[in-house]
Amino acid sequence: MKKYLYIFKSELMTNLQYIFDILIGFISYCIMIFIFLNLWNYIYSDPSEVIKGYTMNQMIWYVIVTEILWMSLGSRKLNRKICNDVRSGNITYNITKPYNYVEYILFSHLGVTTLKFVMVTILGLGIGLIYLKSIPTLSFVKVIGVLLSCLFATIINILLITALGLFSFFIEDASPLFWLYSKAILVVGTIFPIEFFPAFLQPIMKYSPIYAVSYAPAKLFVDFSYPKLLEAFIIQGIYLIVAFLLTHWIYRKGVKKLNVNGG
Amino acid sequence: MLTEVKNQIIVTAQSIKFALQREMLNKVTFLTNIIFMILNNACFIVQWIILYSLKDNVGGYSFKQVLLLWGMAAMTYGISRFFFKDSFELSEIINSGQLDNYLVQPKNVLISCITSSVEVSAIGDMIYGLIMLFLFGLKPHTILLFLFCGLCGALVIVSIAIIFSSLSFWFGKTEMLANTVNSLMTNFATYPEGIFKGLVKILFYTILPLGITTYVPVQLISHLEWKWIIFIILGTIFFIFLAFFIFYKGLKRYSSTNLMNARI
Repeated sequence: MKKYLYIFKSELMTNLQYIFDILIGFISYCIMIFIFLNLWNYIYSDPSEVIKGYTMNQMIWYVIVTEILWMSLGSRKLNRKICNDVRSGNITYNITKPYNYVEYILFSHLGVTTLKFVMVTILGLGIGLIYLKSIPTLSFVKVIGVLLSCLFATIINILLITALGLFSFFIEDASPLFWLYSKAILVVGTIFPIEFFPAFLQPIMKYSPIYAVSYAPAKLFVDFSYPKLLEAFIIQGIYLIVAFLLTHWIYRKGVKKLNVNGG
Repeated sequence: MLTEVKNQIIVTAQSIKFALQREMLNKVTFLTNIIFMILNNACFIVQWIILYSLKDNVGGYSFKQVLLLWGMAAMTYGISRFFFKDSFELSEIINSGQLDNYLVQPKNVLISCITSSVEVSAIGDMIYGLIMLFLFGLKPHTILLFLFCGLCGALVIVSIAIIFSSLSFWFGKTEMLANTVNSLMTNFATYPEGIFKGLVKILFYTILPLGITTYVPVQLISHLEWKWIIFIILGTIFFIFLAFFIFYKGLKRYSSTNLMNARI
């Protein structure tokens, strides 16, 4: 475990050197929030209106939180790195080292995400406060609960994206699988809460990865309750174990097919 | 003059053809990229189905018009990324000195540079654009207008990319700025103009000309009016000339980095 914490720390320190690149990435976040502010402003003709159990403020805070999770993840970069590692044969450098590739990816990418998460969260909360002039009231314990849910969501997301990237062992370019995954998360998990979908789809979505990586932390932020926290931790815990085992299984299967020519 | 234009068109067509053949070497990857891009774009229909279940009209657009908006955005994106992919890498090409490769060729530097590779998944975008047009309602004049507006819109998007990338001739590393403008063009293009208010609308008809690339074309295909066709033609010509002017103005400041590499 110590070696993985060291990988996490070194990646975090490296990213501190490139803080300007992270700041530039804020522009994309601001654009998305700006679009959704306009969109929900248009949909809610009156700010006090309640649609599917959400006020306009709750809806905008929901999108701010889900976008924080998605933007700080740097999912495209992670997918590209894994696909390139496999396709170019660079993965052989990792195989020969005394760590597991999946765990190496997980901890090194957590290092990248942590710094971004802190910075995008400050920005997101700032935009929300300036625009909405109010923030959901949460006690210290509740804030810790939401942050833990965000951490689990990020770990599950990294593992699932890694699993998709590792499909490059079997098909030359696994990026299209990632496109679909990212759009599903973006459209189904980021823009709308589960309650906005037809009633027959809601139970399915509640047990889908979308609940674990997007809905649960955002819902806790806008409408916290301890039963919801417990439910979120149980579902995220199950997904964490499943995603971990699945990623290792794909890696083990894939690495047997690895064939690197020359150097 | 005409022979020169003809030769340039032949060379450009050959360049795109060979780039496509290179990408088609792995047929499975080639087809997967196209099919998954269509599915990827189709995911967004869910978003609009939900929004229209809440309200009959979003930003002055009916559901069918939003499909057309998406179709137009996908078509312009697809044409620009397929035929002129390297216009979105131009800043990096200028900074890394790779422009040397095109300067020694006896053809137009800018056109040779931006048409030297293709983005396969952009074929999926173009097909998706046509599917959306089909869902909107196929009529002979809508197909022609759609293809015409798609081409003009793509040329405007490419021109904007060239203009902002060319700033690298003066200010060095400006790819972040160019990438940001390109992503602004893509993100705003898929939302109805009517949901935005104030200063943003002015941007849509100036430095982010989404008016020409998507908003006016959607109005034009919904209700044919000749004044909008003239507006699109004049707007497209203006941006193309501006792009060429700024690129060649900047090219005078270009100096080689003596980079040695092989183009395969």
